[in-house]
Amino acid sequence: MSKVVLLIALPLMTAFLLPVIARVSQFAGRWAGPAVLLLTSVIGILLWGELGDGTFSIELGGFRPPLGITLYVDQLALALALAITIGTLLLWPGEGEDPLRQSTLALLLAGSGSGLALSGDLFNIYVLYELVAVVSYGLVASRGTAAVYAATLRYVIISSFGAAMALAGIALVYQATGTLNLAQLAQLAPEKLNNSQGLAAFVLLLVGFGVKAELFPVNAWVPEVYATASSRVSALLAGIVSKLALVIIVRLLILVFHQPEALTLMLVLGILGVVTGELAAWRARDLNRMLAFSSIGQLGIMFIAFSIPGPAGVFAGLAVALHHMIVKPALFLLAERWQGSLQNLAGAARNSPLGAGLFILLALSLIGVPPLPGFWAKLLVLVSLAEQAQALYYLGAGVILAGAALEANYLFRVASRFYHAPNGQAAVAAPRGTDLATAGLLGAGLLASVFVMTPLATQLEGIALQAADAGRYVETVAPEVLP
Amino acid sequence: MDSTLIFYIAAVGLMLIGIGGIVLSAHLVRVIFGVVLLEAGANLLLLLATYREGAAAPIMVNGEFPAVMADPVPQALVLTAIVIGVGILALTLALALRVQRAYGTLDIREIRQHMEQDIADTAGIDMPTSSEAPLPVYSNEEGRP
Repeated sequence: MSKVVLLIALPLMTAFLLPVIARVSQFAGRWAGPAVLLLTSVIGILLWGELGDGTFSIELGGFRPPLGITLYVDQLALALALAITIGTLLLWPGEGEDPLRQSTLALLLAGSGSGLALSGDLFNIYVLYELVAVVSYGLVASRGTAAVYAATLRYVIISSFGAAMALAGIALVYQATGTLNLAQLAQLAPEKLNNSQGLAAFVLLLVGFGVKAELFPVNAWVPEVYATASSRVSALLAGIVSKLALVIIVRLLILVFHQPEALTLMLVLGILGVVTGELAAWRARDLNRMLAFSSIGQLGIMFIAFSIPGPAGVFAGLAVALHHMIVKPALFLLAERWQGSLQNLAGAARNSPLGAGLFILLALSLIGVPPLPGFWAKLLVLVSLAEQAQALYYLGAGVILAGAALEANYLFRVASRFYHAPNGQAAVAAPRGTDLATAGLLGAGLLASVFVMTPLATQLEGIALQAADAGRYVETVAPEVLP
Repeated sequence: MDSTLIFYIAAVGLMLIGIGGIVLSAHLVRVIFGVVLLEAGANLLLLLATYREGAAAPIMVNGEFPAVMADPVPQALVLTAIVIGVGILALTLALALRVQRAYGTLDIREIRQHMEQDIADTAGIDMPTSSEAPLPVYSNEEGRP
């Protein structure tokens, strides 16, 4: 079981050795990254089989919690660590002008992202979150245009602001409890953090980790970065890194912060995210920014879902998150050659009928057309919202439905351009073969999941029940009570 | 007045000055200084979390513990946070240098307009504007419209 540490250690170690390896052999330098990620994915999948529906924790360096740092492994954490590893492998960005640096950064992203998913210590989470942030600055800026430097600079400033807020939140938590181990915090929270200081700490941590989770109002970096960075990097950030940050917030909500105001705040910010994201996407006139704004809207739906108390909310939120994790990277991959004005997309189906068809399949699922998975995910959120029977939750449901109507409007507008070539000539090239293959793989997975929807939903519900069980977390880590 | 209270006021004050700098300044270097002050305030707040007046390091001297001991954990945490902050500051300054070389300005509003223009040019669309948008802020005549 302790080989779960390899998910973090192997990519990090390879990342730091990569410059040396590349000096010895160009070939090895090029393929070491993907090979190690493949190996890590296999280890992760084997672990998933061993784990079953159990949970366990690892004490790093043999120090008992709460003094040592723990890794907590449940299905949700392992699934996320696997998602970032496999996602980085699928969206391998090491093909640009400087493949060696890109590969190093991609490996660092996989390693630190896995650590972020598995870590059971608040400060450790902060450090790994910063590592993920720095790696993402590098990946975004690696395109090397003036616009991308400006976008990265603004991203760094917003992100540093968020990091300082998170640090202040950590200071408040430590001041109240004297520990940063999540399990021990869960034990102490009802007594020591169920007050206004706890609420202030949650708001600070929400703003801090919300920057990566594209939370309204700290998401101003999203359209600029996704419009200027390479599509594979945008796909990674929108698809997977945002979910990592989101799940950390959800973990903190489940374990530490039980104030009803915390949930209301998430709900309100989620509603604002859906409204602003979908309206801005509706107005966007280039494909990349349309996808960027639509991802803000989708993350807003997730925030709304996770604001529903109890396992039902976690289940609904995870369903939307999993769906978005598959659809948005595929859309960004298709947009690599199609970025630019929507006008230029006229007749794109003639150059690439498969790409256009895939885009429409993904768009339909994103809007939520049955029987595609996106429909079931949204339905789950709407039903759970309705069960709460409170005005604000009804408003959330209404906003999600209105958002779906806007999504249908702007995505169909793109889709109809594909098949309408005014002078018989398409202005854009077909997507690259590798991009199309990866997007096709994701699209095929989406279609296949329609046929296994019931077992998939049962599995996801099991993961949600386990993740929402704070008592089990404490039991598994079993922190010693210090004198 | 209690000395701890003065430290708390200093920490929150530094954070507020930093946020003010980020939000209100138009000059990029001042914005970056704002980030630095904000981080300093957050670090001080973390140090204060377990601050005890006159406390000694928790090390046994001649077989005896000191009467009042300081909690070493926040100090280790702050050390980590400072290192991360310095690294990111270096990265930010490097990016600022690149941006200044490309656009010839350190005014964040002008940088933003150049960037929006670049994005619009690459995409082949007009700049996103509305009739209520403020006029462009280019200070020099050579600036692009």
